[in-house]
Amino acid sequence: MNPPVIVNQLTKTFYDDSRGEVVAVNQISFACQAGQIFGLLGANGAGKTTTLRMLATILKPTGGTATLMGFDVSHQPEEVRRHLGFSSATTALYPRLTARETLEFFARINGCPPATVNERVNALISRFGIRDYADARVDRLSQGMKQKVAIARTVAHDPPVLIFDEPTVGLDVLNALEMQKVIAGFRDEGKTILFSTHIMSEAEKLCDRIAIVDQGRIHACDTLANLRLATGLRYLEDIFVHYIERARTTETR
Amino acid sequence: MRLNLSILATLFRTELRMVLRDRRIIVAAILLPLLILPLMFFGSNWSMKQRERKVQSMAGSYAVTGSRAAEVRELLSRAHERALAKGQTNGLFEEITVTNAVAALNAGEIQVIVEGLNAQEAREKEAANKPPTASSKAAQKPDRSGDKVRRDEKHLPLVDSLVIRLTGRNDRDDSTGTIARLRTALEETRLAARRELLKAANFPVPLEELGTIKQVDLASQGQVAGLALGRMMTLLLLLFVLTGGTVVATDLLAGEKERGTLETLLTTGAGRLEIVLAKHLTVLTVGMLIAFIQSANLLVYIGFKLVPVPGSLAAAVSPWTAALLLALFLPVAALAASVLLLVSGKARTYKEAQLLFFPVFLIGLAPALAPLMPGLTLKSAIALAPVAGIAVAIKEILIGHFDWAMITVTWFATALPAVWLTRISVRFLSAEHLITAADPDVAQLGGGPAMFQQHVWRWFAVMWALLLMLGNYLEKADLRLQLFVNLVGIFLGASTLMLRFYRLNPREALALRLPRPAVWLGTLIAVPGGIISAVGLFQLASLVFPVPSRLLEAFNQSVLPDTIPFWQLLFFLSLMPGVLEEIAFRGMLLHGLRNRMHPALLALVVGMVFGLFHGTLFRFAPTACLGVMLAAVVLLTGSILPAMLWHCLNNALGVLAAHHEIPLTEFDAAGYLTGAGMLVLGFWIIWRHRTAYPELRLRRSERYGGQRKT
Repeated sequence: MNPPVIVNQLTKTFYDDSRGEVVAVNQISFACQAGQIFGLLGANGAGKTTTLRMLATILKPTGGTATLMGFDVSHQPEEVRRHLGFSSATTALYPRLTARETLEFFARINGCPPATVNERVNALISRFGIRDYADARVDRLSQGMKQKVAIARTVAHDPPVLIFDEPTVGLDVLNALEMQKVIAGFRDEGKTILFSTHIMSEAEKLCDRIAIVDQGRIHACDTLANLRLATGLRYLEDIFVHYIERARTTETR
Repeated sequence: MRLNLSILATLFRTELRMVLRDRRIIVAAILLPLLILPLMFFGSNWSMKQRERKVQSMAGSYAVTGSRAAEVRELLSRAHERALAKGQTNGLFEEITVTNAVAALNAGEIQVIVEGLNAQEAREKEAANKPPTASSKAAQKPDRSGDKVRRDEKHLPLVDSLVIRLTGRNDRDDSTGTIARLRTALEETRLAARRELLKAANFPVPLEELGTIKQVDLASQGQVAGLALGRMMTLLLLLFVLTGGTVVATDLLAGEKERGTLETLLTTGAGRLEIVLAKHLTVLTVGMLIAFIQSANLLVYIGFKLVPVPGSLAAAVSPWTAALLLALFLPVAALAASVLLLVSGKARTYKEAQLLFFPVFLIGLAPALAPLMPGLTLKSAIALAPVAGIAVAIKEILIGHFDWAMITVTWFATALPAVWLTRISVRFLSAEHLITAADPDVAQLGGGPAMFQQHVWRWFAVMWALLLMLGNYLEKADLRLQLFVNLVGIFLGASTLMLRFYRLNPREALALRLPRPAVWLGTLIAVPGGIISAVGLFQLASLVFPVPSRLLEAFNQSVLPDTIPFWQLLFFLSLMPGVLEEIAFRGMLLHGLRNRMHPALLALVVGMVFGLFHGTLFRFAPTACLGVMLAAVVLLTGSILPAMLWHCLNNALGVLAAHHEIPLTEFDAAGYLTGAGMLVLGFWIIWRHRTAYPELRLRRSERYGGQRKT
């Protein structure tokens, strides 16, 4: 059986008025298995978000291919989106909807059958513990509450593939840990998870496979154990620096 | 694109719910206008009435002067008695004795100076007070002075009767009010006196019936009211739609971008078409809702007589007419909604959207003024003009004279652009910069040359505004001074500032490179060909937009005055523009825009801007045409120098032709074809020896090495 996410030589070139041509993602390839968390680890501007945005069909690749549940991101974007839950770095919720209305809205526009919407929404409210404020407007919720609503919204239509773009940015330690638990829970349910971060401990704790990304390229992609074996280093931070320095040295030669 | 109605309905319902829950929208788009309009009408009505009452009730003070002051006093005394006899105790007049009447008037001690003069004195005063104008200066010449005196005599009494001059100050309400009342009182008194005289002389006809002119109106009251209403209706409704629609459209796209929710929405199962249509429907619904609410609001004021309208207004709008008007107005509102959405999508932030909406308001409302143009009917080209045609159609429907066929044509003429713009919005929502535009901009952080590309339009907008302002200010100045200010002050000055401010390398920015030698030959061949071709083009354009020959003569006279030596004409009209205009347009502007558009479009845009800087409409086509060719030469050769040579020679040949009265416009078809042939040959040589301008933007397929762009 093919992996749910297959990325092959994916490239994104921007044309920027001031910088001219910018290669944000340069021929990257990887695959994600069901029930696994695949982490893109890189500094800011490494190309992580651009890669995830291409997989979420917001940006169009300028080269290579990517399929999600067998659907091509370039040619079948609507099918891809129906099988995908995307969570951006911000909670990105509608401030004037209640938590319940938010979940209903995302369930409906993602194609949940109308008859099952209420049942699904109630299940999500129970699961994420948002019953107490389900009918409060989002703009009156705390950051932690919003975070829970945002995660519930991401899985409102029960998609098999989830993308989390730096999900713990701006969260305090407790909320970040809560978020990590939730993501791990999704993996245990058998969902395929793509996850981008620049926080080493998070990647270390969560990811089954890690891709080290810098300047639009993947410099290493393996399990943490194999990365340790290959470099002889223990901490992911050191492993990350090792690969980045090696890549930059090779480039300057 | 397949439309999922269920998703569309969900999106629309949710958008509308969010809009109606937004206090800012409710307050700014509905409540404030609801409160402000009555307050505004009530306030202006109240202050107007108060002012009138005050002016009517105050006792106007005046000073009487002139050689026939005694007669004036007697007349004023009779007017006073008449007013008292009619029971008017308020607003009477009071004479004040002053030594200097004009000083007293200026100091506010009196409101009016009443002068009693005989005809001769009045004539002299009239002549002395008249400001010297061009025509009066001409009239002072011996051959015309007789005519002038005779003309003045026509306006003054031939017999030595009393002439009363009322002098006041129009910048003071008390003065204008007193003058008006005094004038009425004096005229009524003199009319009464005349009536008594005629009666005493047994005149057979009462004065009121003498030479009476009566006006008869065949239009019904409803039609007259319809005309008044029809002139303003589209403008008012569109204003209401834009007021409400702007707030909503800003929130729906620019606001979503700023909150980050648009990115999430674009990753859902909803298609771009459904998202755009839902947003469009929301803007349209809220815009129409606000138009209805504000119209009802306005009708309430009319009911309470806070807004004066012609009688029988209700009769002008039957329910059937109202339904027809609504059907006609819908495409206008839909078009407005499409434009607002596009503008909101273009903006990076909420604030930027608000800035962009200002010109949209001005441009958007302009076509709705079409019904104010006298004699304009729908049976003309206006039927094809979006919004303007509908505005005229609404007026004709309200008057009751309209043509169904033309109404249908104009409905489609507005509805089709609305659909087209909505489709563009759908495509626009697929554009990547809609999401990535919010990312940090390195140019803004780094400044310098990268920033210049973002700011180049602003510089040229300011230069254009300066050119227009100074052009008006220096209209009568010497041609050399005008050219010096424009070319050195504006073009060279701004170019130098841009080079310094953005730390640009002059050699690169101005393309100061030597081209291949053959390019010079190509340029020398192309110049005369270009002139002849441009003249031919101008002749062709004149068939569509004829330019009055008098205008051309006046222009030639202003550009080539006899008073300036020929060598100076060559210097100011050929060498200076050839160098300095090239620095500004093919240097700075082209460099700033070089990788923002495809080279072909770049040449066109630079040429058009160059044309726009040449002021008058009839000069636009030839100068823009020259501008395009010069930009093409710079892009092909990577050097500004051949363009400078071309520009100098082009202008020099024009000056030579005008100076020696060589008629360039009298070529036959063969002449124009030869010119076009020389132009093509010149360009062919330049093309064969081209050295491309660096850092140009290429086609996407060229940029990505022919890869598929999905």
